[in-house]
Amino acid sequence: MTRQLHLNAIYSAAGGSLGGWRHPEAPARAGVDFPFIAEQARKLEASAFDAIFIADLLAVPDSHPDVIEKVATVNDSLEPLTVLSALAAVTERIGLIGTASSTYNQPYTLARAFASLDHLSRGRAGWNVVTSLIDAEARNFGADSHLAHADRYRRADEFLEVVYGLWDSFDDDAFEWDAATGRAFREDGIHRLDHAGEFFRVAGPLNIARAPQGRPVIAQAGASPAGRDVAGRHGELIFSGASRLEDATEYADDLRRRAEEAGRDRGDILLFPGLSVVVAPTRAEAEDRFSRIADLLHPRVALGDLEYWLGGVDLTGYDYDGPLPQFAQSNQSHSTQERIYETARRENLTIRQFVERRLRAEHTVVGTPEEVADHIQEWFEAGAADGFNVSFPALPGTLDAFVDLVVPELRRRGLFREHYTGTTLREHLGLPRPASRRAAVGAAAR
Amino acid sequence: MSTTQATRQIHLVGFLKPAGEYPSGWRHPEAPRAAGVDFAFAAQQVQRLEAALFDAVFVPDLVGLPDVRDDVLERVAVVNDTFEPLTLLAALAAVTDRIGLVGTASTSYSSVASLAADFASLQQLSRGRAGWNIVTSLNDTEARNFGRDHHLDHGDRYAHAAAVVEEVTARWAEQSSRPVLAQAGSSDAGRALAARVADLVFVRALPIAETREFVRDIRERAVASGRDGRDVIVLPELSAVIGRTRAEAEDAFAAVRDLLDARIALADLEYWTGTDLGGLPLDGPLPEPPLSGASRGAQREIYDQARRDGLSIGDLARLIAEGDGAVVGTAVDVADHIEKYVTEADVDGFTVSFPWLPATVTGFTEGVVPELQRRGLFRTHYEGSTIRDHLGLAQHQRA
Repeated sequence: MTRQLHLNAIYSAAGGSLGGWRHPEAPARAGVDFPFIAEQARKLEASAFDAIFIADLLAVPDSHPDVIEKVATVNDSLEPLTVLSALAAVTERIGLIGTASSTYNQPYTLARAFASLDHLSRGRAGWNVVTSLIDAEARNFGADSHLAHADRYRRADEFLEVVYGLWDSFDDDAFEWDAATGRAFREDGIHRLDHAGEFFRVAGPLNIARAPQGRPVIAQAGASPAGRDVAGRHGELIFSGASRLEDATEYADDLRRRAEEAGRDRGDILLFPGLSVVVAPTRAEAEDRFSRIADLLHPRVALGDLEYWLGGVDLTGYDYDGPLPQFAQSNQSHSTQERIYETARRENLTIRQFVERRLRAEHTVVGTPEEVADHIQEWFEAGAADGFNVSFPALPGTLDAFVDLVVPELRRRGLFREHYTGTTLREHLGLPRPASRRAAVGAAAR
Repeated sequence: MSTTQATRQIHLVGFLKPAGEYPSGWRHPEAPRAAGVDFAFAAQQVQRLEAALFDAVFVPDLVGLPDVRDDVLERVAVVNDTFEPLTLLAALAAVTDRIGLVGTASTSYSSVASLAADFASLQQLSRGRAGWNIVTSLNDTEARNFGRDHHLDHGDRYAHAAAVVEEVTARWAEQSSRPVLAQAGSSDAGRALAARVADLVFVRALPIAETREFVRDIRERAVASGRDGRDVIVLPELSAVIGRTRAEAEDAFAAVRDLLDARIALADLEYWTGTDLGGLPLDGPLPEPPLSGASRGAQREIYDQARRDGLSIGDLARLIAEGDGAVVGTAVDVADHIEKYVTEADVDGFTVSFPWLPATVTGFTEGVVPELQRRGLFRTHYEGSTIRDHLGLAQHQRA
């Protein structure tokens, strides 16, 4: 069979565009409207999407009040693990991936919650490991500022090792439920962890049977050198924000190399660049739809978004027709800051041009089903992508258009599955089920 | 006061342990294997409770394995293999419409921001049916999963709990529609916290005089905290085994009791008393409890009971084996028991636990609930859609 691509929906209930919530079709308070969210998930499942992914931020960002009041996405949304658990109850096949922070959680808590989600969904859980971003999050967890960049990636690394150990607390076949003898599990099938490291001391064992997938799928989006190292060591799905094919290809090659350096196989990681799509039967219709969505993004919000990604800077006092000033590196995502400055330098952009570019959301692919499929196919065949993180600027319209128009076109080209062939997320992705590192049998097989 | 009180209708909360509350319940021939991670089975039980108009289902929790010997641990199903409460309740929210969804979360091992966000999310997902059972956690085994060697000292952890509850509730903007708060501490510090903040108070099954005294004490403390004594809904645990005849119920219970390994009964007593009974004679007295970090209220109650009734270690273990106050009889017997406690001990209802599943659930929903309805003691339909509506808390707030 020819290689097929994977599709993961980045789900943001108010739409992927920061102005998407203003669209006339958008339901009021979409972020907390579970029936609406469930309906979108079922549409994606009917199209055999590999997974739905729900991102997270542990705070309301500390942007200007006149920006925050105009942004719906982050201010009124459900917590990922609870909404994914609810989705598990009303879907059958689609993978369920959620963001959770290794900086602001304890390994025991997350190991347990994701194992629980994997059992609830019978093997469909995935965890997007983030180290968190902003000081506003730190202040919600008893710290004044965010953990230093290097420290939070060292913490993430140790966090994951602890979680893997906890997920192997019980062997796959430990539970016997022998009613006759009264033995629930074999004594030699349970393992304490007794981890003591730089950041954590965790005894274990975890109080739940080994997950149906062995381990929930690990997603990672590290883009800085430290982040790429963690992604290369642990990530199975690698999310990236590259908007140019050459950047995405370079990133994919680098991540595969890092995975190999970490003793893994190149095939153990799947690259998922982001892809925002507005599609319609004709190009003119697509552009018309797109401009109506772009018009919903308030210029102050576009400027605020730029301020946010530069680390919470204030651009209001600067000449909008002057160059984008260079601020000191903030403790937030290093790679995003560098990407912005690099683009500004390369194309000699003013603040105003930058904001206009964000207003026009140039990363969005706008066109006919054939044009969108061409873009997907080009990236896929160039080795820049094993799949895509598809985002939908406004809901439900752009999601409906994608599943109705793009998915059939991809199938015509033999690029995407007609239907699910497995039941777990690992099966959809073609990823092996990890053997336990603790079980006697598992150790021999490894 | 609201009309709820005038009609004396009771509240029922189902204590969900899919493998069964009784330690050998999972060995019952009808019990499913691996019930603790069987969502379809859990959903079916909760849908039964909803069809029977229960106010809520309550999912307990421990953030670790219990601190018991391996030969005991491997024989206890309940705690070793269960869903994490918030994920389970969120999934249940998607397959139920009315029943309240109360889950345990620890103030000692969860952050304020996570607790606030998780329960607010459950509240939105379920459209107003969420409840948080505030626990301070119990064991050193839990502490060791979170970087500590020992559990926080009793006084410290209640002071910490009070601060956590205050911060969490402060983050919920709409106080009139916030998740409900439940508490089950029976020590002095636990009662003080419950009386000050809890909407629901859980307490273990006790003889009627002690129950009456407990209820009176909680209501008095609530009044002293500036609340109405009736704003605190006190729900003692009720474990019930129901048969068409008393003999049938007794036989059914005896069959499950016979499956209980003696090691578990003794270990259970050790667990609740916080005392190592290993070298002590079974016919000797229970030593003075250490008042260790574990549940102080329970230690004191068991010790007092032993002294009052002249019970040996063996007697106490047998009592636990016999079901810790389970009511065994016909639906009418159980309804009589309930009515007696409501009339004489002023309880607001019960937290019903199920020794094994599914039989003791259906026995209650199909036998006891209709009998309570016949007596006018329990609702015949849900009047509202939120847990606050079911509990009559919305009315209290308007009053």
